[in-house]
Amino acid sequence: MARYIANRVLGMIVVMFLVLTATFIIVRLAPGDPAGLMLGPDATPADVIELRHAMGLDQPIPVQFVSFLAQAVRGDLGQSIFFNQPVLQVITARAEPTVLLTLFSIVIAVGIALPVGILSAYWRGSWFDQGALSTAMLLASIPSFWLGLMFQQHLTGGGVLPVSGFGDPGSSFFEHMRYLILPSLVLGLVNSALIIRFSRASMLDVLSDDYIRTARSKGMSEWRVVLKHAFKNALIPIITVVGLTFALLISGAVVTERVFNLPGVGSLVVGAVLRRDYPLIQGTLVVIAGLYILINFAIDMLYLLVDPRVRY
Amino acid sequence: MVQRRTVLGLMGGLAIAGVSGVSFAAGDATGKKGGTITVAIIGEPPTLDPMLSTADVVSTVTQHFFDTLYTFDSHWNVVPLLASDMPKISDDGKTYVIPLRQGIKFHDGSTMTADDVVACLQRWTKLATRGKGVAAKIDSITATDDHTVTIAMNTPYSPMMSLLAFSNSACMITPKSNLGDQLTAIIGTGPYKLADHKPDQYIQVVRFDDYQSRTEPSDGSFGQRNQYLDEIRFVPVPDTNTRVEGVISGQFAFADSLSNEAYDRLAKSDVSMPVLLNSFGWPVFAMNTKKGLMSKLEIRQAVEAALAPEDMLTAAFGDKKFFTVDGPMYPEGWAWRNDAGVELYNQANPEKAAGLLKQGNYDGSPLRILTSHQYEFHYQMAVVAQAYLQQAGFKVELDVVDWATLTQRRANPDLWDIYISHSPFLPEPALNSTYDANSPVGWNDPDKNKVLDQFTTVSDQKQRQALFAQLQKMVFEQVPFYKVGDFNALLGQSKKLSGVPQTPWPFFWNAQVSA
Amino acid sequence: MATASISTSLPGEAGLFRVMLRRPAVAIGLTIFAILVLTAVFAPFIAPHDPNKLSIAHRLRPPSGDNWFGTDEFGRDVFSRAIFAGRISLSVGLGVAVLASILGVVLGLVGGFFRRLDAPVSRIIDAMMAFPDILLAIALVAALGASLVNVIIALAIVYTPRIARVIRAATLVIRELTYVEAARALGVATWRILGNHILRNVASPIIVQATFVFAYAMLAEAGLSFLGVGVDASTPTWGTMINEGSQYVGNADWIIFFPGIAITLCVLSLQIAGDGLRDALDPRLSREL
Repeated sequence: MARYIANRVLGMIVVMFLVLTATFIIVRLAPGDPAGLMLGPDATPADVIELRHAMGLDQPIPVQFVSFLAQAVRGDLGQSIFFNQPVLQVITARAEPTVLLTLFSIVIAVGIALPVGILSAYWRGSWFDQGALSTAMLLASIPSFWLGLMFQQHLTGGGVLPVSGFGDPGSSFFEHMRYLILPSLVLGLVNSALIIRFSRASMLDVLSDDYIRTARSKGMSEWRVVLKHAFKNALIPIITVVGLTFALLISGAVVTERVFNLPGVGSLVVGAVLRRDYPLIQGTLVVIAGLYILINFAIDMLYLLVDPRVRY
Repeated sequence: MVQRRTVLGLMGGLAIAGVSGVSFAAGDATGKKGGTITVAIIGEPPTLDPMLSTADVVSTVTQHFFDTLYTFDSHWNVVPLLASDMPKISDDGKTYVIPLRQGIKFHDGSTMTADDVVACLQRWTKLATRGKGVAAKIDSITATDDHTVTIAMNTPYSPMMSLLAFSNSACMITPKSNLGDQLTAIIGTGPYKLADHKPDQYIQVVRFDDYQSRTEPSDGSFGQRNQYLDEIRFVPVPDTNTRVEGVISGQFAFADSLSNEAYDRLAKSDVSMPVLLNSFGWPVFAMNTKKGLMSKLEIRQAVEAALAPEDMLTAAFGDKKFFTVDGPMYPEGWAWRNDAGVELYNQANPEKAAGLLKQGNYDGSPLRILTSHQYEFHYQMAVVAQAYLQQAGFKVELDVVDWATLTQRRANPDLWDIYISHSPFLPEPALNSTYDANSPVGWNDPDKNKVLDQFTTVSDQKQRQALFAQLQKMVFEQVPFYKVGDFNALLGQSKKLSGVPQTPWPFFWNAQVSA
Repeated sequence: MATASISTSLPGEAGLFRVMLRRPAVAIGLTIFAILVLTAVFAPFIAPHDPNKLSIAHRLRPPSGDNWFGTDEFGRDVFSRAIFAGRISLSVGLGVAVLASILGVVLGLVGGFFRRLDAPVSRIIDAMMAFPDILLAIALVAALGASLVNVIIALAIVYTPRIARVIRAATLVIRELTYVEAARALGVATWRILGNHILRNVASPIIVQATFVFAYAMLAEAGLSFLGVGVDASTPTWGTMINEGSQYVGNADWIIFFPGIAITLCVLSLQIAGDGLRDALDPRLSREL
């Protein structure tokens, strides 16, 4: 077991290294000179050369790469050109809306999809089941930003649900959440499809298992059969899906933040791309990818705990 | 010494009878203090230092915490702000003696002196676009005593006062110790001071208790500033739709620059109302006369012949109540208005254009129009222009980029043929940099240069108006840029908000919000 | 996204088509998709109006007999524009599906077949999948420049790992099959083994995954165009139509309504087809995932 964990950790480090490399390459590929961009059109060539030197851009690429890695390991992701602040600081300042949006969306997605999936499995083949599956597929086909625009237009009459933004900076947590209802609903719905299908499949598997039949024949009430035994065992694959969904949600957050004008990390990245703020683009990619890797690792560890059958 | 009267007379020429819709709150010191409002602006200002940017959103926000020596009243007359009075100008027009108000406090508690003003003016001539443009004409800027500043110029320059009054590329006053290539801190003398700034989220300003308001009745930017509101929050909202929805739902007390489609919804709303700024400004297609296709006169004239401003304006602004198909550089009611050369406007004549293309030996290379979605109406006009130009025989490429890239690209004459922009109608024509040979347009015609020189030297109003007519004629004949028409700007305001005058750069120091 | 369900149907692709057609879901999905594709392909003949023709006097008209989907802010016929935009959106989907398949197959085969390369390839796949789709796509398009080809390349890079993963898993299994071992023992050239034996057996999962990638690529392209970081703004795709039309939501919903429906239908039909294909091609995996 310890060997397994060690292996996974090693794998994680390797992947992180690859992520850093890929990010470095992508950003260096981009046209335009960051120093020139920073100084603007009035800069003299001498100014640009000086800034390039200060930014370390005149070093050979391998040297730049090594210093980039060294800095990244220390947590220094560079300085944002536009915000004139350390990248990590900019990201953490903008993290709240995205984190809350993602969490809230997962809650909605799981809240809808789990019961639906379980019931579909339970009433396999019924109208409910077929309807649920079709709806799931439909939801997964709708562009989230389009759904967002439609919701924004038609569900905000009367001022109960705010149209956009994250609320005033001084608002309470609950005020902020009110602003997240619509966007989370959009993201949650669109991403619930996968969870519906997975929980359904998982439950189907489990429901046909021997020990369930045994429990039933022992006279255990249906509720207990379903909830206590079946559900617990169906949980494992569901955890996987939730992890997968995280990546989908971040992607979804990028467009959703634009539609609902949420000042989160998604809109931060889009703005950074439009402004050619390379350090920020680079830093955000690294942070998000890093988070995803960590979450996957955590899920794997969770497996070890939850599923006694898993042995490596 | 030129008397104050004459100076005002000079500026009087700017009196616009028809600046309709300019309502202003008579300084009502008995209004109740209190309240916070959220104002939606079109995007995050590139900087909070007005000397470093000509973006309108910078002026709108920074005028609350930075003051200039002079400002404009509701009729676009130059009036004193930090200066105590209009300057004494020498007979030859080359020396300005500016008296300063005394005991003005900065937000950090220090007191403004002539030294601070001199240092700011000097930085302005070095860093600000408009300051740099006039730097060569200035011999010296000195503090003749603690409360007087003297500007000595080597040649008379009639737009000088407007430059000192303009909130765009403004010479704002901040403590000398604060200056550098970047400001150390945002410290001004304005009625509101900067409390917090989270880029892309909000800019929060709060009432400055030690502000010394002028006592004259409010008139435009002039006079009393009552500071009723406790706090103002400027929130960047790049999406027009979101700004509209925000005003209608009551989230924003005020929203800048809305798409005209929102007019009806604003009018029907219980919570908000539309604010229409008539003859707010004009969209312009600026030509690259330095290099490429547009460096040839006939090709530019072909563009002028081909374009159909009515369709372009309709596509961009929708209903007729939002625009006027009008050629002269200034709309009705402005003293600068004249008819010279107007027959060349609104030709929509593809055959004539095709003929001009032949004359200019058009080789079929693509005409590159540089524009951005930042101002959706720019893009919409570009699409229509493309269709008409193609009809005339042009090959047209639309280069749609973000605004930051656009301002970068237009500095490089290799990269564009036409770029699209817009401008409010400016109180002083010389404030429009496209007349200058140094702008990206690069209009460097010797005849024009002579007229422009005279225009900025002469101080008699009638003479200036005649010279401006000549300039306008040259614009139509040489087509360094193409004025598409006049447009009205739609802004949105909460019904509970009052005391916000209608100006291209809205300010809130006399605004009140009812319960 | 569908998981790495391993379909290793043994030689029998001759019966593939018959199996496919027997399953109603696949047939329905493919039919709807075919209709959409044909509409796009024959757009020049079907479109009642020139999609680029401006008619300012008729801007923002609701759907009518003359303009089935109404007109946009320039008076252009939304229906004509939509079907022409479909050509671009569908080409992106197709381009990405094909390119990602090629790259994914190569990567997957290499990782699955050559034991020593398995770990590095898996790590590379993990690294690529650590980036959320849209973010990686945005970064790549920013790096390569905004053009149709670059969007296809960027999205192909984004979706390659998904295909690679499935192919790798399939290859791992097939490699152990007796007749493949026999071939190796006999000294058959590696590339022959890869090409003849393994590739042929991996054909089914490739098709299934490619179908899903097609769908996701279309959604991603729409998202990129909506954000303004995809194909350059003057090229009409369903995404750019929604972007331009978002300003008029509330006054002229039809501008965004129909492109949105079009995307949804395409993605939906592809997903139905993909699901059906997967179920049909692997009877062992009749577990309904």
